Amino acid sequence: MGMHLGFLFPSWGLGTRYRKSVVKEKKMKINFILNENEVSIDVDPMKRLLDILREDFGLTGTKEGCGEGECGACTILLDGKPVTSCILNAIHADGKEIYTVEGIAEKHIGKLLIDCFDETNAVQCGFCFPGFLVSSYYYLKTDGEKNLDKIKKALSGNICRCTGYQKIFESVMMACVRKS
Amino acid sequence: MKQVRKFDARPKLDGSWKFLDDYSYKDMIYGGLFYSTVHHGIIRKITFPVEFNLTEFTIVFAKDIPGKNIVPEPECDQPFMADKEVFHFGQVIMGVAHPSKEILKKFIKQIKVEYEELPAIVDVKECLENEKNAFGKEIIIDHRRNVKPEKGWIRTHSVYYTTHQEQAYLEPQGMIAIYKPEDRIMFVRGTMQCPFFVKDGVEAIMGNTIKEAIIETSEGIGGAFGGKEDFPSLLAGITALLAYKSGKPVKVVLDRADDIQITTKRHPSRVEIETYTNPKTRKIRKLKIDYRLDAGAYQTLSPVVLARGVLHSIGGYAVEDVYIRGRLFRSNTPSNGAFRGFGAPQAFFAIESHIDKIASHMKINPYEFRKANILKFGDEFPTTQKITENHLYDCLERVIVKSDYHKKLKEFSKFNKTLKDKKGIGISIGYHGGGYTGSGEKLLNSEVKITIDKEGFVNIFVANVDMGQGAHTTLAQMVNETLEHPLEKTIVQLPNTKKTPNSGPTVASRTIYIIGNLLRKLSKKIKDELKFENLERFIKENQDKFPKEYRMHFTPDPSAVFDDKTYQGVAYKDYSWAACVTEIYYHADIYQIELKKIWNVLDIGNIVNPKIAEGQVEGANIQAMGYALSEFFYKKGYGRIQGFTDYAIPTTFDIPEIDIEFIHTDSTTAKGLGEIPMDYPAPAIRNAFYNATGIFIDEIPLTPERILKTMNKLPQTNTDDTQT
Repeated sequence: MGMHLGFLFPSWGLGTRYRKSVVKEKKMKINFILNENEVSIDVDPMKRLLDILREDFGLTGTKEGCGEGECGACTILLDGKPVTSCILNAIHADGKEIYTVEGIAEKHIGKLLIDCFDETNAVQCGFCFPGFLVSSYYYLKTDGEKNLDKIKKALSGNICRCTGYQKIFESVMMACVRKS
Repeated sequence: MKQVRKFDARPKLDGSWKFLDDYSYKDMIYGGLFYSTVHHGIIRKITFPVEFNLTEFTIVFAKDIPGKNIVPEPECDQPFMADKEVFHFGQVIMGVAHPSKEILKKFIKQIKVEYEELPAIVDVKECLENEKNAFGKEIIIDHRRNVKPEKGWIRTHSVYYTTHQEQAYLEPQGMIAIYKPEDRIMFVRGTMQCPFFVKDGVEAIMGNTIKEAIIETSEGIGGAFGGKEDFPSLLAGITALLAYKSGKPVKVVLDRADDIQITTKRHPSRVEIETYTNPKTRKIRKLKIDYRLDAGAYQTLSPVVLARGVLHSIGGYAVEDVYIRGRLFRSNTPSNGAFRGFGAPQAFFAIESHIDKIASHMKINPYEFRKANILKFGDEFPTTQKITENHLYDCLERVIVKSDYHKKLKEFSKFNKTLKDKKGIGISIGYHGGGYTGSGEKLLNSEVKITIDKEGFVNIFVANVDMGQGAHTTLAQMVNETLEHPLEKTIVQLPNTKKTPNSGPTVASRTIYIIGNLLRKLSKKIKDELKFENLERFIKENQDKFPKEYRMHFTPDPSAVFDDKTYQGVAYKDYSWAACVTEIYYHADIYQIELKKIWNVLDIGNIVNPKIAEGQVEGANIQAMGYALSEFFYKKGYGRIQGFTDYAIPTTFDIPEIDIEFIHTDSTTAKGLGEIPMDYPAPAIRNAFYNATGIFIDEIPLTPERILKTMNKLPQTNTDDTQT
């Protein structure tokens, strides 16, 4: 059922003027650790984690490329594992530890990776790179072997359309060597 | 040639570089587009969902447009919003805005439109096969020289098809518009390639209601590849109208599903080639090309894509008698637009595939056959433009050596006799004209500006954007070759139509080739005028001379004349040349081609920043690989493709080894680079597949489904080859 309006002379508004659009006002308190700080927020538990990070905490380094968990531009670490924050909801963060690219860029290995990506001129448009940084960080923390096949696998959840990935692989390999 | 790190790499990595969606303004509301979900129809009734209070929304229709409902383009035929009739899926019917992003999304999803559906052409082949669908621009290049095919000459005739390709920039389209009623200025910030095109768009839709539109790009532009050439004008126009009507800043960022369904794509093509070759001399003597592009529902910038397409359709070969006809065809799909290569990838897929086909008919090696026909010094294009260098030939020779072509050819032939899986090696050559076609650059009349201030900063003002290609780093380097100023004190300013002169759009490999070389010239002028040894010291010691401003216009070479009517003359002043070899492994059980390695040898003139240049080749190669192997829209894909789940662009798992060599880098000119490495790989992959299996497939992408069908039905497709 809907309001029927003529296309050329829409007459909406009559009788609906004083009604507010239906919004689900359910809110819930969510506590988590964000980049090593304890945070707490009253929020719709179904709000996307990506939007909470970007809008409520102003951490715009985490990007939305596809909104369906496919491109990896919104990758964050949730309890130490890389996840795509665009397909998670607020409730998934409750009681968890989260690192976004802003937090990772401050860590020793994060800085090392930034140096390597910078040196190889790997970055082009850069929209996908915060996601690559998070995934590469996870690889260096958990494995770190200079092995192209392993690196390809570790980064397979991140899509880049500019670079052809060559210099990304090169950078991560460089970081593997420098870390050890 | 100097290796310099990109100035924006670190902030992009730590997430502090701002892309469009990272900007917020006070009282900003969110906008969205509601678009047609039928391919062709008349709008009968629009129904809004009742559970929303409509007074909270700002809604704009075609009838609300105070100016013109036509997007300014080379061909002005596309409306910003449909009025009564929609001509394609994804055609915008209204713009909607609301303070809450969530409510806006739910609201737009629930709007219902009743259409009276009309017949539509959606399938690419249905569009391109039927002559009745031809519309708009037609181009003929007539270089017929009365060559009569003789007995024994080999006639080869084939039709080649390519399909839509999505640019798939990672950052979706987005705009923010802010109206300032006190001075009647519409400020628009967006992710775009062409700020001055967007200015024209916003001023067209707003008409006399505003005094001026000022356009500024976001700090970061998350990829474009041509996809942000003309669509941003439409999006900015509607966003501006929403801002005007609501009185609030409006931000519109498209969802990936919307972006992929309603924005421009690479034109599908049908290219028919007929050749006559003398087997004794191995020379192609007569060539006829019918080049067709599916423009979509409107022409928009397709006439310009068509022009570049026909001018590249002959490939890198010297043929005496040539006739080329290029036409646009209309379908009920979103108008197709710019995408890296701009008509050339379609052209090269056809001609480079065809060359291998002739070679196979003559039973000679495709390299030998290319060598016999390749453009050399003194030859001419069908436009009568003379070739003044042997660089294309040099590229071919070099890539054959580098890839160990002959040895691999033998090895693979042996390997293929023993196993079901096959190995293959393929060649292609190509070229790309730098800058606008014909008299385009003359008409653009680009201007650049450099200011030097008291504090010792050299500021570069151009309208060309850095969308990831590293243009702003490279342009700063080109200025510093002469001024020898510290790079951290050489700043390329953010493009803004009020502050930067109109140096034209960021397209056609023209940013470095036209604008960069122009900045080099201006820098030399500055140095000649100021006569400094060290600019930094000079500024300190001569504070009274600064700030100072320098401007320069691009002056085309007066000897390079092109007739836009007859298509005779110098279509492009400088060409980049390239040759490529690809190696594939064919997994017979799953009908899957795996690209193992690609060798590129290119002449792009002098190299400003080697790693940025390599990055361009690598990225373009992988886009071309997607074009050749995996990327396509379903036959009736509109409404079904939602994002990267259904549209398969290459991931880290798919990546081959890439080998790149630049030759003839001692030139004084930096030529075009962005597009050429996208132009040639697809046919080389197809030719490698032929080498592996002996099967010609004249259509891309070479998906396992297509290979399976071809293998099970026919040994060859689309050919009616005969000997005369």
